[in-house]
Amino acid sequence: MKTRNLLAVLLIFATVGVFAQGKFISKNAYISFFSSTPMEDILGESNEAVTILNAETGEIAFQALMTTFHFKRALMEEHFNENYMESAKFPKTKFNGKIEGFNKSMLSSPITDIKVTGQLSVHGVEKTITVPARLGIENGKLSGSTKFKVIPEDYGIAIPSLVRDKIAKEMEVTVKATYAPFGN
Amino acid sequence: MKQQRLALILAFLLFSPIVFSQELDALLDAETKPQTTFATATFKSTRIINGHSIEQMKKDQLDFRISHRFGTLNSGLYGLYGLDQSVIHFSLEYGIKDWLMLGAGRGSLNKVYDGFAKVRILRQSSGEKFMPVHLSYFSSIEMNTLKFPERPAGTSNYFSSRLTYVNQLLIARKFNENLSIQLTPTFIHRNLVKTELDMNDAYALGIGARYKLSKRLSVNGEYYYNYNPNSKSLDPQPYNALSLGVDIETGGHVFQIMVTNSQGMREGSFIPQTTGSWLDGDIHLGFNISRVFAFNKK
Repeated sequence: MKTRNLLAVLLIFATVGVFAQGKFISKNAYISFFSSTPMEDILGESNEAVTILNAETGEIAFQALMTTFHFKRALMEEHFNENYMESAKFPKTKFNGKIEGFNKSMLSSPITDIKVTGQLSVHGVEKTITVPARLGIENGKLSGSTKFKVIPEDYGIAIPSLVRDKIAKEMEVTVKATYAPFGN
Repeated sequence: MKQQRLALILAFLLFSPIVFSQELDALLDAETKPQTTFATATFKSTRIINGHSIEQMKKDQLDFRISHRFGTLNSGLYGLYGLDQSVIHFSLEYGIKDWLMLGAGRGSLNKVYDGFAKVRILRQSSGEKFMPVHLSYFSSIEMNTLKFPERPAGTSNYFSSRLTYVNQLLIARKFNENLSIQLTPTFIHRNLVKTELDMNDAYALGIGARYKLSKRLSVNGEYYYNYNPNSKSLDPQPYNALSLGVDIETGGHVFQIMVTNSQGMREGSFIPQTTGSWLDGDIHLGFNISRVFAFNKK
């Protein structure tokens, strides 16, 4: 009986161990979004996004707390959290996806163009997106980056007509991450 | 029993691959656990209506404020319900640090110049560090610059007679996304009062609240209770200040529109010297406009 219990525990640890292997993490990934109109440029930046890349499967995940985004104007930050993202209700933005046509050599070669498909969750709304990205070794470290457009209305973010001229129809999202092996 | 356990282990192993795609997400969930969350935007503006709220300008942000209070509604059509008459107050208020704001202003009522400091002491937070309330300290000096009245021969006027000192503790809690309430114990010292029956020291307790109707609209209420009103005063009988208003936010502006029984817009005037009575219809329509400019480099 006892040995069996032990076996069960061992097995569970073994599986967890397998999970933890072959992963890369970054706890200070950069995510920004940029809105440009003739009236006003708005840039929100977070350096506290976290991301994990599974080196076995090519799965990739991002998360960022909305409150880690900072702006030049304190009021923009307040409005971002209070009026647009409703950060108290939807504290995080998430992405869970997979590198298309993944093979392990992508992680050891110089930077190449790739495509990532997955679920982007913003403001509590989930959408499947495919974005071009770049991944590979840069300065001896595994780095990834992407740039893509997001339409706020797609994610249920209402922009009142009064400020419509100041907020771009499409936001340019930039993501940059430098990975380190996970669990070391 | 043994078989059950075995089945459990088998099931665990079998289902692992299915759980797999969720697994990265779960790992990240563990990494992004919010540590301490501070309550923000407890009030829309640095004023609840007349009095200060615990909100202040962040570092390098400048608030330019213009406020008006019109005459009384009971002045009737002859005075266009108060619109014929108006007092103005304008001020520049700047965030030196996130926790320190300084401001200076001028009001047309009694030609008062004022300077103030607001210091944040505690922030309401949840999570790792728990703090149930915001606490700030507000202090101001107001300088009345009306011409001194004629004095009997042999007596003189002093500059210090012009000064009023205000000290307040601002204690606020954001109960939920919509409701915030603030208590404001107040101590005011006036160097010179009109008669010896008037009190130099005034003690008061303010209570203010806001309720958000939508993301950009809230209703506010504010009441200041005076513990030692100048009941023996030969001046008009003072009343406690009661104000009701709405905050409307439009991008970089906040408009506050209110009805109040006080025409003064500074603590030294509207707390101990409100002379209007709601019951008599001495109600002033008024507004505050706030426009914020950012002066930080990045």
